[in-house]
Amino acid sequence: MSQLLQIENFTLGFPGRPPLLDSVSLQVDDGEAVALVGESGSGKSLTTRAALGLFPGGSEFSGTVSVQGLDTLTAGKQRLMELRRGHASMIFQDPRAGINPVRTVGDFLTETLVRFDGLTRSEATERAVKQLEQVGLRRAKELMDQHPHQLSGGMLQRVMIAAALLNSPDLLLCDEPTTALDVTTQAGIVRLLREEQQSRGMGMLFITHDLNLAASLCERVYVLRRGEVVEHGPTRTVFLTPQQDYTRQLVEATPVIEVGGLGAPVAAGSPLLQVSGLTKTYQLPRGDVITALDDAGFSLPEGGSLGVVGESGSGKSTLARLVVALETATSGELTLRGVPRPHRPLRASERKVLAKEVQIVFQDPYLSLDPRIPVGNAVADVFRLHQKQGRKEAKDSARDLLARVGIGPERFDARPRALSGGQRQRVALAKALAARPRLLVLDEATSALDVSVQAQVLDLVEELRDQFGLTILFVTHDLAVVSRICSELIVMHQGRIVEQGPTARILEDPGDDYTRNLIASRPRPLWDAEPVTA
Amino acid sequence: MTATEQVQATVMPGGPTHKRAKRPAVGPAVYIVKKLLALALTLFVASLAVFFSRFLVPGDPARFLLRGRSPKPEALEEITRQFGLDKPAWEQYLNWLGGILHGDWGRSLTYRQDVSDVLLGRLPTTLQLVALAAVFITILGLFAGIVASLNKGFGDRFILITLTAAGAVPPFVAAIALVALFSVGLGWFPSFGSGDGGLDRIWHLTLPALALGITYIAMVARVTRSSMNEQLLREHVEVATSRGLTRGSVVARHVLRNALGPILTVSGVLVAGLLVSSAIIERTFGLSGIGQLLVQSIDRLDFAVVQAIVMVVVAAFVVVNTVVDLVQPLIDPRIAAGTESR
Repeated sequence: MSQLLQIENFTLGFPGRPPLLDSVSLQVDDGEAVALVGESGSGKSLTTRAALGLFPGGSEFSGTVSVQGLDTLTAGKQRLMELRRGHASMIFQDPRAGINPVRTVGDFLTETLVRFDGLTRSEATERAVKQLEQVGLRRAKELMDQHPHQLSGGMLQRVMIAAALLNSPDLLLCDEPTTALDVTTQAGIVRLLREEQQSRGMGMLFITHDLNLAASLCERVYVLRRGEVVEHGPTRTVFLTPQQDYTRQLVEATPVIEVGGLGAPVAAGSPLLQVSGLTKTYQLPRGDVITALDDAGFSLPEGGSLGVVGESGSGKSTLARLVVALETATSGELTLRGVPRPHRPLRASERKVLAKEVQIVFQDPYLSLDPRIPVGNAVADVFRLHQKQGRKEAKDSARDLLARVGIGPERFDARPRALSGGQRQRVALAKALAARPRLLVLDEATSALDVSVQAQVLDLVEELRDQFGLTILFVTHDLAVVSRICSELIVMHQGRIVEQGPTARILEDPGDDYTRNLIASRPRPLWDAEPVTA
Repeated sequence: MTATEQVQATVMPGGPTHKRAKRPAVGPAVYIVKKLLALALTLFVASLAVFFSRFLVPGDPARFLLRGRSPKPEALEEITRQFGLDKPAWEQYLNWLGGILHGDWGRSLTYRQDVSDVLLGRLPTTLQLVALAAVFITILGLFAGIVASLNKGFGDRFILITLTAAGAVPPFVAAIALVALFSVGLGWFPSFGSGDGGLDRIWHLTLPALALGITYIAMVARVTRSSMNEQLLREHVEVATSRGLTRGSVVARHVLRNALGPILTVSGVLVAGLLVSSAIIERTFGLSGIGQLLVQSIDRLDFAVVQAIVMVVVAAFVVVNTVVDLVQPLIDPRIAAGTESR
């Protein structure tokens, strides 16, 4: 087998700073699928882009990155463009950002064909339509005239794949192509990529932070950490018997559905939160009515933990926002500790009372903390507002609480931008806990974090739950995360609750087709019994 | 679940996640009609403001016409009646508006001619001046903006500083500087008059148009630069590059094309300033356009002319901006029928 992509001792960095990539070496052979896994900031994207001769402006680099014998570090512009047009293609993470929104899908697909391959417009269109059909899109002819905003995320990613395959490349580079997609959509895209790679005999380099995904697609894997390859080898070997500590941590941190570890659901104490017939509809300016949440009903006992699982648009976030009164229900009852929620936006005084009962932690700690306020003050402010503590007392309380979530006193005066994502989410948790709530709502609170950080935050949540006797409502798209934290589970689809009950029961014996689909959509390693190309 | 089923599940755009009460999408025709109705309404409100503002100005136009001579009361009354100044305000307005709709803008007090004749004699000069300035603004503004955006570092900073300086220069200063350099110093362009038609006209109008446009060149260049800089960071530009497009194709098809929206919006708003500034330039270069006419007519309380000119300027502004609004959906299809955010 000939070597398709060969990277040797590739170092890249900006002058005067430590290198972002340090002597990276990896290879992809013809017809081979190779995964490059690592956490954010590990340099996966930089490595892959180098294969196309795309380097960040002002960077310095050395080593070799050769694709079919062409060294992209030294090749001229013309040779690079020929490489990009004919031999190597890349699929990007977010198709909605990656396809020009003001041009038609057809224009996106055919622009290189018409401009550089000398095809006429109709020939190019014909070829593009064929390619669209091949990647599983129906009504391909109509799609050609549509704009990206008229297509769903999954369809757009298929368009992106079609565009990458148009010139029958020998090397396909995939930069987290499913991260922006729902689990069930991801399963379809992964299957498609595997099929295409196998039938065309392409070499593929697949970047991901998700070990399960890497295992479901690739025979070999490279583990990248802070710009260095720490381990590589056959996927199965690396994942089942990792040699390096870092890889071991990564494998352990990767969430899997585990049913055994959960305690039995809390014996029905007095219900803390009771919801029945809860519905939320939105009226669009053009007269359309969107039912975001349809007739939801459940009850959450004091000290219990409830997971809400569903895809984007399933209404799970709407439910969370209704519970913390960020939204007002259109109809239905919501009772918290026996107090019914009024059907109108809350007054400021009511909100303050409610804030002592319920607190929420949002998905993205980069957005949910005020960048100007030092984190210690942010937490102390909550103590002053809700516990009526004095300035000094509040600071002491804040220091204690931050220490308990693992933020040392030396970070007390740091602003959020000086903290890592995991640290910020700890601060967000501390802010929520400072109000001493009974119910803590976590809205995708770990989705924006790396797997190792996610594992730490989940540990912390478990610990705090036991320490504070918290009741937890955990909203997420990830079944594995729920299986760790929550004893009760709600599965939502299109604004409706399709299934609810004890987590263990639902995961072992799902009663609804959608739940089954959701569980089956989780990526499975290639060496597992069920082949991916079903 | 087979592959095709998977796809079907994802096929409906925005689909299975929400239940929607189906309704026909708002067509482009409705959009255009709405914009045109807004245009008509704006012009109507503007006409009210333009007409009645005259009553806020002190001074009796009929008396002014007699230039300080003390007239016999009958003569004054005669003139007042002749120009319809004795009727109630609303009736005067209705007559005026009705006249405009028939192409009759009333009579000028000073010129003793129909306003439309006075105006038509001068409008072409101003329009040509503004049009030529617009050409300079488009070409030089876009060019400077594109060059600045694509040449980070020295080129960008040099152009930016030049633009800031140019933007701070008032039109009359620019006019004097240009005349000193190009007509007095180098003798390339005439410093006065509007010339005879054709090329001679363009030759005569070059310096005035440059003087008029210089501030706006700076503004358009800045908007172009920042709008392009924003687009250059977008992922779809990187995707285009990764597919082997040439730098030129990427810039033209994916950067500049997407940056056009904001540039056009700003340009539309600039039109009003251009028409108003033309008064100063016309005076400096001795062109007989409507700008100069406006200044004279205000001096002489020639309300019919003032009203007509202000109406023309307002109409030009509103029409240009309506056209900009109508063109926007063609540039960015997400704006059409308000689907941008959803």
